[in-house]
Amino acid sequence: MVNDREFSREVEPRTLLIDFLRDDLNLTGTHIGCDTGHCGACTIIMNGKAVKSCMVLAVQAQGAEILTVEGLAKDQKLHWVQEAFMQNHGLQCGFCTPGMLMSALFLLERNPRPTEEEIRRALGGNLCRCTGYVNVVKSVQAASRALSEGREN
Amino acid sequence: MIPKKFDYYAPTSLTETIQLLSENEGARLLAGGQSLLGLMKLRLAAPTALVDISKLPGLSYVREDRDHLSIGALTTHDTIEHNSTIQEKFMILSEAASKIGDQQTRNLGTIGGSACHADPAADLPTVLRVLDAGFVMQGRKGERIVPAQDLFVDMFTTAVGHGEVLTEIRLPYLPPTSASAYMKHSLRENDVAIVLAGTVLTVGDGNMCRDARIGLGAAGPIPLRATTAEQYLKDRILDEATLKEGAQRAVEGANPPSDMHGSKRYKLEVLKVLTNRSLSLSLSRIKSCGM
Amino acid sequence: MTAAFYPTASELGGRVEDPRLLSGKGRFVDDLKFEGQAYMGIVRSPYAHARIRRISFSKVRSSSDFVAALTGEDLIKRRVTTNSQNQWPPQKPAKRYHLAVDKARFTGEPVAAILVRRKNSLEDLIEQVEVEYDPLPVVTTIEESKKGNTLIYEDWSDNISQSNNVKWGDAEKAIASAPYVITAKEGIARQESAPIEPRSTLVRYKKEEDAYEVYATVQSVHGLREQLASELQTPEEKFHVKVMDMGGGFGSKGSESYPEPLLACLFSRQTDLPVKWTATRTEEFLEAASGRDEYCNLALACDKDGKIVALKADVECDVGVTGTQNHMSELSLWTMLGPYRIPNVDLRLRVYATNKMPIGPVRGAGAPEGCYFIERAMNIMAQKIGIDPLELRRRNLTAEKQGKSSSKADYIRLIDDLIKHSRYGELLEWKKEVNSKFKQPGALHSNLVAGLGVSIRGGGGFGGDDHGGSSEGEETENDEWSSGGGTGTEVNLADLDFTSEYARVSLERNGRVTVYTGSSPHGQGEETTFAQLASEALGVPLDKIAVVWGDSVLVPYGVGTFGSRSAATGGSAVVDACRKLRVKLFVKASEITGIESNALDIRGGRLVDKSHPNLKLPSLMEILERLGLAEISEESTYRLGSMDYSTGVHLCALTLDVGLGKVRIEKYIVVEDCGRMINKTIVEGQLHGGVMHAVGGALFEKLAYDDQGNLLTSTFMDYSIPRAPDSPNIEVFHEVTPSTVSLNGAKGVGESGTNAGYAAVINALNDALSNVFPGAQVNVAPATPDAIFAALQSP
Repeated sequence: MVNDREFSREVEPRTLLIDFLRDDLNLTGTHIGCDTGHCGACTIIMNGKAVKSCMVLAVQAQGAEILTVEGLAKDQKLHWVQEAFMQNHGLQCGFCTPGMLMSALFLLERNPRPTEEEIRRALGGNLCRCTGYVNVVKSVQAASRALSEGREN
Repeated sequence: MIPKKFDYYAPTSLTETIQLLSENEGARLLAGGQSLLGLMKLRLAAPTALVDISKLPGLSYVREDRDHLSIGALTTHDTIEHNSTIQEKFMILSEAASKIGDQQTRNLGTIGGSACHADPAADLPTVLRVLDAGFVMQGRKGERIVPAQDLFVDMFTTAVGHGEVLTEIRLPYLPPTSASAYMKHSLRENDVAIVLAGTVLTVGDGNMCRDARIGLGAAGPIPLRATTAEQYLKDRILDEATLKEGAQRAVEGANPPSDMHGSKRYKLEVLKVLTNRSLSLSLSRIKSCGM
Repeated sequence: MTAAFYPTASELGGRVEDPRLLSGKGRFVDDLKFEGQAYMGIVRSPYAHARIRRISFSKVRSSSDFVAALTGEDLIKRRVTTNSQNQWPPQKPAKRYHLAVDKARFTGEPVAAILVRRKNSLEDLIEQVEVEYDPLPVVTTIEESKKGNTLIYEDWSDNISQSNNVKWGDAEKAIASAPYVITAKEGIARQESAPIEPRSTLVRYKKEEDAYEVYATVQSVHGLREQLASELQTPEEKFHVKVMDMGGGFGSKGSESYPEPLLACLFSRQTDLPVKWTATRTEEFLEAASGRDEYCNLALACDKDGKIVALKADVECDVGVTGTQNHMSELSLWTMLGPYRIPNVDLRLRVYATNKMPIGPVRGAGAPEGCYFIERAMNIMAQKIGIDPLELRRRNLTAEKQGKSSSKADYIRLIDDLIKHSRYGELLEWKKEVNSKFKQPGALHSNLVAGLGVSIRGGGGFGGDDHGGSSEGEETENDEWSSGGGTGTEVNLADLDFTSEYARVSLERNGRVTVYTGSSPHGQGEETTFAQLASEALGVPLDKIAVVWGDSVLVPYGVGTFGSRSAATGGSAVVDACRKLRVKLFVKASEITGIESNALDIRGGRLVDKSHPNLKLPSLMEILERLGLAEISEESTYRLGSMDYSTGVHLCALTLDVGLGKVRIEKYIVVEDCGRMINKTIVEGQLHGGVMHAVGGALFEKLAYDDQGNLLTSTFMDYSIPRAPDSPNIEVFHEVTPSTVSLNGAKGVGESGTNAGYAAVINALNDALSNVFPGAQVNVAPATPDAIFAALQSP
């Protein structure tokens, strides 16, 4: 299941999940930035966990529930994490952004009120060369506030 | 970026797993995949078959048995980091797990995988060595338990036999007045260690050392126990001077390689610092528990 | 009345480009797919220097996935020229084909290319190409290159790629008699841009038109068009070059001519298949133009009042197999003059070729190096004289205008702001407190020392404005920003240089405005900022304006986005085109309405009579309809003539854990002046990223080689760019001295953070080290823990 839709495909065992998502399912929102699983641009949520889809074989996603960046917005309306990034200039070129959003979402679902240190640590697996992380951290803090406010309503 | 071809199996039982491994000479186990897949993508490893055990049931747990804590081999680093029993009884392990890579890696990487991968610079192997862990293997001939001192044979080489699967890691409980600490030196937070040190101290009245364990990592092909230093500290009063001397002795058997991160001399100096700080932290943790 | 600042990205609720990028709907080159596309792979030399004896595709041809192959000999046969980009004077032309001919000159140099049907089999087949090499002696250091025993280019008599000198007065004499002289050996190791998106290209040859549709990750589609045309000896109009979204460039996707787009063109033409290629990260490290690798042996002399009397320096740069950096190394000489008055100067630059990948522009491209050299020297001098580093700078600021618009008074203002915003006094107290607790090494416990470091980015560029003169400059007046004067001119397309840019602005019958720009944003936000400029210049609401870039047909001319130019050059072209459009429109509207042209205005998208604003006039759309036009537009090819750089003052406060050699930046503050900010949030984002690039370069990043020329750092594990947990927060404050050169008052800001960043961090580190023992210094970046350890060894 990817973004609440079921898919069934045959793949070579060595096909990486990231290539499967991008090439077979045409979900090109998740990106490839490196070969060794260090940049985090390929981060998705699989079975509730933020994982690097380049470090997972497509076959391992058999029966899994996957959320990619394309599955965040609903009915043309941005997800509250996406909103927070947009309001706080949390992206510049946008290449690392889908992965950042996923790591941020995973963090906030486990820890809705993270400290700055906790945010930085949670994003330690997502490299960004444009922002210097300053506004990314601000965006996650804003998302955390939005979450609190949403919960109070 | 794309691995060489391999056959893929996803067994549903341990028996099936053992059979597949026994029958396929070039087969390797796939657990979290965070180390193995990395090597395969760079084509530094090319197993002919992968036996995927990541979904095998019943191998992910933290269980308090009578004399030891039992941790299932497929327990993830993230679980280990946050497990309250591990934090209480084996802080060094929780700390070490927290310093592995990044959140995504910790979400999938497993303690069993890390132990069997036996990377000299990895966080867990040295810690498991310091904790005198026992490694439970299942194979065609049944079950056997390998002690930590025998598990790590060489870099990236363990005593896990052909057709064997590591299923559980057992940590003997530490005596009541004990504490532990993990220290790692790396360029950036959570980078692969340049050098690392883990210590366990058991202390009696007046800071008299009952037992000291010092493990050094990235200081040779396998995790090192600094037994000379451990002997020195035992039955001594632990204070600034003895800890300093202990740290000095600890690095005497260490042999970190000179590389682009620094010379051997530099790494030995840092190891001394880490050992001392780790010992100090362990000691302060005992004190702070009001023992 | 025009606002001093435009609405920020926050006030706008985000940038125009944000929704699609946030939703995963960005269109990066690797996202694109053509039906039936084939995949290109590159066979790369495993040797840093070796003759190529034989290349065989016999094994690989037997695979059903194999389509075609190319070698350097094929390029020669097809009359492909050598790399067009390393021929610029004053560098010595270096003949290098896009696939190595006769010998490979760096590890990773392309030796052959193959085309395969399936992506999964690409690496399998690359491995099956057989190449026989005869290894040659390897040149991996400047020292070896100087000896000249092994020549990188055998048609050169030595390995010197370029020499430059900047000289006036008599530096040697002045140094000999000066009361204060310091010397320093400084440097920055080889580092790189490392954008997170690897290079990628997708080419489709169109047989019927004998033309190429080329998608490529480039900072200038027109630049690539020119390179391809030149190297393939084919008219420019045969190449339709496009890029939409791009994941960063920082120079590495700028001027360097890479083989892959050209090879993809050749393959596509040969096979009639669309050809896709995306670099692996390893290939990026091996091949993408890297930067820095510049070292300086300098002497700085001051008189008894601390006023600089002379600067003498020998600068050496390792440029690998040469590339497009040489030009920028020259910039580092000019930047070394900082914003200071220096009456005697003797700067000598030698650029050496070695067996490493080419060097190209990397964020700052020479300016970070030059700024680092002088700013580090200033701190060493301040320590020698025994005065505060900022005070030393105050005494030496040149009275002349820097880069055409910043004067001494502007710099003083920046320094004063820095002192205020950083709470400098409190920081000095903090430093004292931390250092008072420090116990000498050997204590083996957590042992911190603290340091503060400052640096200034002077505003000069090439030609180093006004360093030697002695007349007082004029104060800048912050007058009418909206009608920013600007000193540029319209030029012919052939004269589009890096101080210029192209724009066309069109008003369409549906009321929408389209801005076509030769700029090529890849994170800098021009899709928003240029719309903001056009909105103000035209009088049309922001949401009616779209910005189009990255298409060499829709935008027929352009320079591109690099070198901190876009806001100034691209922005000026947009403003100029808008002004011209208004004039054209008002002439037509005047004919229709009978109202004088100069009485007309556009406000909120409506045509308005300034003296009777409530009078209902025909709408712009109606005007177009009456004219029978679908659209009305004007172009601008605006050249500024000189570049006006941002200035700034940086402060870094850090602690050093002496036992481990680990640095932690506690505070980092920038007071910057980039002229009029089109979008303040975006400016700050640029500063954050720019500073972080310098932090990485100062503390972590190094492209390391073994003695065989093998690159040891070819992954993001080994090449350490800053990650979130290691990164400090960066506070940015602003002064606004509008540019008098650009039409919108803006100066470029993309590189500013990086330019002054190295020195701020290294100065702070050395300040901290001086508390361990005086004389402990690290002057070569990156100051990694082992380098710090080494510095602490010799009392």
